Amino acid sequence: MNKQIRRLAAAMLVCYLVLFVQLNLLQVVKRDELAAKPNNTRAVLREFDKPRGSIITTDGLIIADSIPSAPGDKYKYQRRYTAGDLFANLTGYYTFAYGATKLEKKYNDVLTGSTSEQQLRAITNILSSTDNTGSVKLTIRADLQLVAKNALGEREGSVVMMDPRTGAVLAMWSWPSFDPNEVVIHDDVKAGDVITLFNALPGKPTLNNAYQERYMPGSAFKIVTTGIALENHALDLTSTFDDERQWLPPQTNNPIENYQGELCGGDLATVFARSCNTPFARTGALMGADVMVAGTQKWGIGEKIPFDLPGGAESHFGSVEDFKDATPRLAIDSFGQGDDLIVPMQMAMFASTVANGGVMMQPYVVDETLDHSGATLDTTTPKAWKTPISPDTAAILNQLMVGVVQRGTAKCCLQLDNGVQAAAKTGTAQLNALGEQQRSHAWITAFAPAEAPQYAVAVVLKGVNDEISDGTGGRLAGPIAKTMLDYALAHPLAGS
Amino acid sequence: MHPLARRSTELGLVIMAGVITAAAYVLASLGKNATIPPIIVPFFVAMLGLLILAHLATRIMARGADATLLPLAAMLHGIGYVMITRLDDHLAGLQTLWSFIGIGAYILTLLVVQRAPDLARYKWTFFVLGAGLLMVPLVPGLGRSVGGAHIWVRVGAINFQPGEFAKILLALFFAGYLYERRELIAASTWRIGPVRLPEPRHLLPVLAAWGFAVVVMVGQKDLGSSLLFFTLFVVMLWVATERALFLVIGAVLFGGAAYTSFRLFGHVKDRVNIWIDPWSRYSGKGYQIVQGMFAVGDGGLGGAGLGQGHPGLIPAVQNDFIFAGIAEELGLFGATAVLMSFVLIVGAGLRVAIRAERPFEKLLATGLTTLLGVQAFIIIGGVIRVVPLTGITLPFVSYGGSSLVANYILLALLIRVSDSTSRRIGELPDEPTINERYAAWKLRRRIRKDPSPTRGSGLGAGP
Repeated sequence: MNKQIRRLAAAMLVCYLVLFVQLNLLQVVKRDELAAKPNNTRAVLREFDKPRGSIITTDGLIIADSIPSAPGDKYKYQRRYTAGDLFANLTGYYTFAYGATKLEKKYNDVLTGSTSEQQLRAITNILSSTDNTGSVKLTIRADLQLVAKNALGEREGSVVMMDPRTGAVLAMWSWPSFDPNEVVIHDDVKAGDVITLFNALPGKPTLNNAYQERYMPGSAFKIVTTGIALENHALDLTSTFDDERQWLPPQTNNPIENYQGELCGGDLATVFARSCNTPFARTGALMGADVMVAGTQKWGIGEKIPFDLPGGAESHFGSVEDFKDATPRLAIDSFGQGDDLIVPMQMAMFASTVANGGVMMQPYVVDETLDHSGATLDTTTPKAWKTPISPDTAAILNQLMVGVVQRGTAKCCLQLDNGVQAAAKTGTAQLNALGEQQRSHAWITAFAPAEAPQYAVAVVLKGVNDEISDGTGGRLAGPIAKTMLDYALAHPLAGS
Repeated sequence: MHPLARRSTELGLVIMAGVITAAAYVLASLGKNATIPPIIVPFFVAMLGLLILAHLATRIMARGADATLLPLAAMLHGIGYVMITRLDDHLAGLQTLWSFIGIGAYILTLLVVQRAPDLARYKWTFFVLGAGLLMVPLVPGLGRSVGGAHIWVRVGAINFQPGEFAKILLALFFAGYLYERRELIAASTWRIGPVRLPEPRHLLPVLAAWGFAVVVMVGQKDLGSSLLFFTLFVVMLWVATERALFLVIGAVLFGGAAYTSFRLFGHVKDRVNIWIDPWSRYSGKGYQIVQGMFAVGDGGLGGAGLGQGHPGLIPAVQNDFIFAGIAEELGLFGATAVLMSFVLIVGAGLRVAIRAERPFEKLLATGLTTLLGVQAFIIIGGVIRVVPLTGITLPFVSYGGSSLVANYILLALLIRVSDSTSRRIGELPDEPTINERYAAWKLRRRIRKDPSPTRGSGLGAGP
């Protein structure tokens, strides 16, 4: 029997050898393949057991951090958004079951310490096993963000403030917002319900309306049309327009009217300041689709804005094809009605371009990324994106926009403290067709001081109710822009 | 090695297993809660005490036995225990209780079974008991179905799996029956064409026992146990008769049975399909094995570290899938250590079988070792997709009282055979057992009280 028992031992050994080989296959050879399977949540789970870096405003407020979970929690760390809804649409949220959004998504590698640079830097202190999570420092100022929130109140809309010289976004607030703390709870089912609820709410609180939505710009678009006309010598400061209430473009029987059918005309500065419609409709039609479309493209319309937050919207102006044999449509689009759609942040970029001598800077919210020790990983260097207009054109537009504040549609509401001169353009975008209930967005985009611009701002109030639709861009959005500019000018960031 | 030196070796190894377990226990707690468990000192004392108790029992009652079996079992038991405490506090408490009962069963078995050859006498008792135990889950009111398998019995507040004990009883029966009839069976006087087979009447009881076990197990949807019984039967028949023909017949029978059940039973077909392609069945029946594979893969070489993985994602990880949890947190190194422990136990068990002189003990040791080795192979292979997954516990490691107690009884029997052999081959004097000493002591006392018991009374009834 011993022979058989020896053979049995050999057979058993072979069996266990097979197990050992398979174990090697799974744990060494196919390890990465298994880790990459779509259902494998272990890598993400590991991230949830590590602290995650902070997101910090430029004035040093920690707006997102990780704190140890309560004992017995299924993950070791709890993500916390210290300012509730104030920065929700910049930070986004970071959940296990529903992924991450906004900065949490875009800068996941830095926040988890998994960029190769961070891994490299952590090697030196691998023995001390300090966590190597990085942090993200924003260009956003917490104080300006709060001012924007308070100024907008509970009116649907967005406020964007930026430095026209660099493109750094200083404030970016939209109402309605949401509290990301409600989404990052560790009860996945409940978190899912909350996300579903937020996504279904009117006003789209989980979308950053300031860069992920686009709205009809109304007369604020005249900055672009005027810029194109000046560049193409279709207009100059000496251009004049006869007084008229309406203008009938070719190919149609529907006349284009001025705001509320007013009699409107005069030189360029006057029609710009009063925001007459017909002069810009005529100018657009006169230049033709080719020039207008090429011109709007130079302003970055119809193109994805390079930005460090994901999922941005594109502004819209029709194509040459759209305007073929459709001069009335071109005319209407040329003063910001019709099919035009502008992303609020890009509206701030229009004012910034004028303020910055014709150069449109690339917008950004992340100033720098830092490693675990606070040393810089990466700093954003301001970059020019477009140069739609020459410095001369910019100077003329600056002058025209000052006119809007001094004697035009923003005269009521944009007289800054201490006599600082602002430059602006308002917009009241008619959303309704003739005979329907009055609905309009209220816009303003402005910068100050006009002679040496430091801040540019854009405000849009969505025409979702009578309160907003009965007003104008100047009267409704103007005071918000004034609050923002006054505060920013009175409280320059220490060190800058 | 001198047989008495074995005990010192055993003591050293058992303490080492205890220290490793305690260290793992602390690491798991650090990994999970970042604290040193407050009960570490009483835990360590109790565990070491328990292990030393088992060692002392061996030293007193089986001092010639193999020195590695107990420490290896203690090692596996310890790793399993740490995994269970790390997974579930409630189960940890129960497993602590079962650990005491398991060691108790080990000591009790050594105490009750003092002469290994005596066991052969009770082969029919074992047959009836084993068959009875297998039937119990089918009794209405007693049986319970857990996870699709109808293998549990509830008596009062206690649930247990009679199959775990039945496997030992059947191994005892096979050993007892085959050692007696092995030559008759091997002689194979019954000719069918060119093939010579044993007389059916000699083979019948074995076939009956096996068929019974397999049919009952299949009826209870306990595939793992059916496979285990089948292997036990074929291996013991082959070793007893020394005829490879039985392996061939076994393979043919197995192939037939496997194919038939594949065609007939939905759950068998499911198991095979999941084995072939678990990925597409992720959201259904393949979930457990896919999660198990993810866990194993995630472990890599060194593992996530005790308390730092996510074995809780795998359904039934404390039970059938505990090996996946070990592979995740201890990595290839830790999982290989577990594999090696089983290889060493199998090696030690078969060495006991080879050294044994009497055929009964040889067969018994072979059967018991086969049970341990094959059971571990079936479940580990199932978890890492070498064979289709069939639910069965990993001996000494998985959570579960029945499994732990049964395997400690099995271990005690192996130890008993080992000790019996070393006395048989003259390494140790064949001293009287405790029972025999007690009987002798009682006799001596009676004689001392009444120096001429029977004779005296007869002769003293004089005039």
